[in-house]
Amino acid sequence: VCTSRFWFNYRHVANTLSVYRSVKRLGIPDSHIVLMLADDMACNPRNPKPATVFSHKNMELNVYGDDVEVDYRSYEVTVENFLRVLTGRIPPSTPRSKRLLSDDRSNILIYMTGHGGNGFLKFQDSEEITNVELADAFEQMWQKRRYNELLFIIDTCQGASMYERFYSPNIMALASSQVGEDSLSHQPDLGIGVHLMDRYTFYVLEFLEEIHPASQTNMNDLFQVCPKSLCVSTPGHRTDLFQRDPQNVLITDFFGSVRKVEITTETISLDRDVAGFESKFPRDEVATEPLKYAEQLPVAQIIHQKPKQKDWHPPGGFILGLWALIIMVFFKTYGIKHMKHIF
Amino acid sequence: MAAPLVLVVLVAVTVRAALYRSSLAAFISERVEVASPLNAWKRVVEGLALLDLGISPYSGAVFHETPLIIYLFHFVIEYAELVFMITDVLTAVALYLAIQDFNKVVFKKQKLLIELDKYAPDVAELIRTPMEMHYIPLKVALVYLLNPYTVMSCVAKSTCAINNTVLAFFILATIKGSALLSAVFLALATYQSLYPLTLFAPALLYLLQRQFIPIKPKSKSFWLYTMQYAALYLCSLVVIICLSFFLLNSWDFIPSVYGFILSVPDLTPNIGLFWYFFAEMFEHFSLFFVCVFQINVFFYTIPLAIKLKEHPMFFMFVQLAIISIFKSYPTVGDIALYMAFLPVWSHLYRFLRNIFILSCVLIACSFLFPVLWHLWIYAGSANSNFYYAITLTFNIGQILLVSDYFYAFLRREYYLTHGLHLTRQDGTEAMLVLK
Repeated sequence: VCTSRFWFNYRHVANTLSVYRSVKRLGIPDSHIVLMLADDMACNPRNPKPATVFSHKNMELNVYGDDVEVDYRSYEVTVENFLRVLTGRIPPSTPRSKRLLSDDRSNILIYMTGHGGNGFLKFQDSEEITNVELADAFEQMWQKRRYNELLFIIDTCQGASMYERFYSPNIMALASSQVGEDSLSHQPDLGIGVHLMDRYTFYVLEFLEEIHPASQTNMNDLFQVCPKSLCVSTPGHRTDLFQRDPQNVLITDFFGSVRKVEITTETISLDRDVAGFESKFPRDEVATEPLKYAEQLPVAQIIHQKPKQKDWHPPGGFILGLWALIIMVFFKTYGIKHMKHIF
Repeated sequence: MAAPLVLVVLVAVTVRAALYRSSLAAFISERVEVASPLNAWKRVVEGLALLDLGISPYSGAVFHETPLIIYLFHFVIEYAELVFMITDVLTAVALYLAIQDFNKVVFKKQKLLIELDKYAPDVAELIRTPMEMHYIPLKVALVYLLNPYTVMSCVAKSTCAINNTVLAFFILATIKGSALLSAVFLALATYQSLYPLTLFAPALLYLLQRQFIPIKPKSKSFWLYTMQYAALYLCSLVVIICLSFFLLNSWDFIPSVYGFILSVPDLTPNIGLFWYFFAEMFEHFSLFFVCVFQINVFFYTIPLAIKLKEHPMFFMFVQLAIISIFKSYPTVGDIALYMAFLPVWSHLYRFLRNIFILSCVLIACSFLFPVLWHLWIYAGSANSNFYYAITLTFNIGQILLVSDYFYAFLRREYYLTHGLHLTRQDGTEAMLVLK
């Protein structure tokens, strides 16, 4: 997710696209990626090299490429849409490419970048998502069994504040800077005129370039990616909610789509005869009456369960008192002589 | 005079019935200028529904009307539209009869003062004749019934109409001279919305005048009568409040009704002056300012009583106007009541200075209220300051209207006793200036 607009936030789009590119290279198909870019840098009128987004200066690496599939673009990147994608509470008309179709066996990688502060991340220069909201969204995901394990990476200023509030199990988080520190950008390109990448993501990208689908590199190496000497800010990570030891977690568990394939050299024959299969499960001898819907649901009982509501009536004493007063006032004003007309 | 009144009543009832059947009825009931948290019909229905469910209607700050209203509407809720039309008609008829009697009193007093030579010789054109006063009661009923404010208030079914009826009957009872009925109706009006308490003073002054008791602090009969009237009023108020206790067997209508009126917790925008101030005020100061604002309503009674002790009816009019401007949740229904009295002072027309500007201000502001509401709430291109500006302007218009009539009244009184052509000591023409 890239949450920043405007040309000078080019680097956030480049960050996101480089991570996108890496995960695609490692095997995750577009149907399993939700890419949210808040602004279009490749076709921005200020881009001197249209249809490209570079991540290295001297235009070494074009992360935009030919087959970028952006799912949420421009003004669609809002806090509401992001939370809806995470929790799955989206309107039924949303196309599949815009949904996170995960289940309880899915490992999810969430990468967010933009401008942030202590406890919030700014979306589109008009709203923020707080760390509490994010933690609650993850808890909703956990309760709805939408993830098996979740890796959360954030590259913003004071990014560590965003993972402070997580309380759901199986979440590992990395951030580019601690609370009170700013994440810095890497290198400006004089040809394009803006900073191309942020430092943390630059070094993460370099690290990921060396990963291939079969590599056994684990999370501890990812934690070491950007030491203070290179990054100026202190990257942080959080593993207390994660049940496995980070030593045993492969990078490709999150960044790649690696199937466990077992190659065997012997043939297995599938039995064509299925009769033997049936005899294992004898049919039920007793023929029971088919259950009709009405009998299963005793509607008549349910209707009469609610007690009949009694209407409220003013108490008799009140009515008596009121009308007695009215009659008294009437007779006091107009004299007692009218009494004989009543009786 | 009965036939034209019946005609006016029929026209008014037709207009209201037509509006009830149209689609405007729903739109008008939602307007904040017409329905305030105190007298919105929606809240009455909500309160009665809560009662049917077995919960006290005063739990949760939804219903702020008195238990007698619950009693009234419990039985007639299906015919609510008819009830409100009847209350409007009753108000108009009561005002008609009241002003008819009042005109007789005014004329009698004028005759007495002419015979006693209290008037200067050249004020012939200021003397009022029965001919010109003949149609005033009809005009009053007409202005009340066909005033757009009244019609809107009736179509929205706001219980302000019931308050107006009680006040109209109070005025009728006062003018007829019956202290008991006047005290009872004033107690009912105070019971429903707290502010008619200030109308005690003009009613007392009028009754004293009628009994020919001079208003001197040393006079024994003055104090005796005052005590009697105050005792009648307070006793009826206490009796009504105790009776309301027996309706629901609980006292929680007192904080819900009177606590609500006095402490102004609901800051929904309306045409009054309270909401904006308290919306932006720090909690620290809100108690102080609530007290200041509420004292402001009651404060004008004593100076006006001192100045207008010879003219209690005008005092009543000014006091009604002050109540509807400065009360905590005013609606256009309150304004309709005091505007109904304007034809009674139509002889002051030649002394009114700002009447054109004021009528333009009032009409323009009335039209701007829904416009700026729409811009603020729906279009989002204005904010509450715009709406409050119109509220302020509208209230300033009303205040200037009242003070203009006040000025004209006092000026006429001065001319009556000192003559129309005022001269200074050296003989040149003098001008009357209000200091």
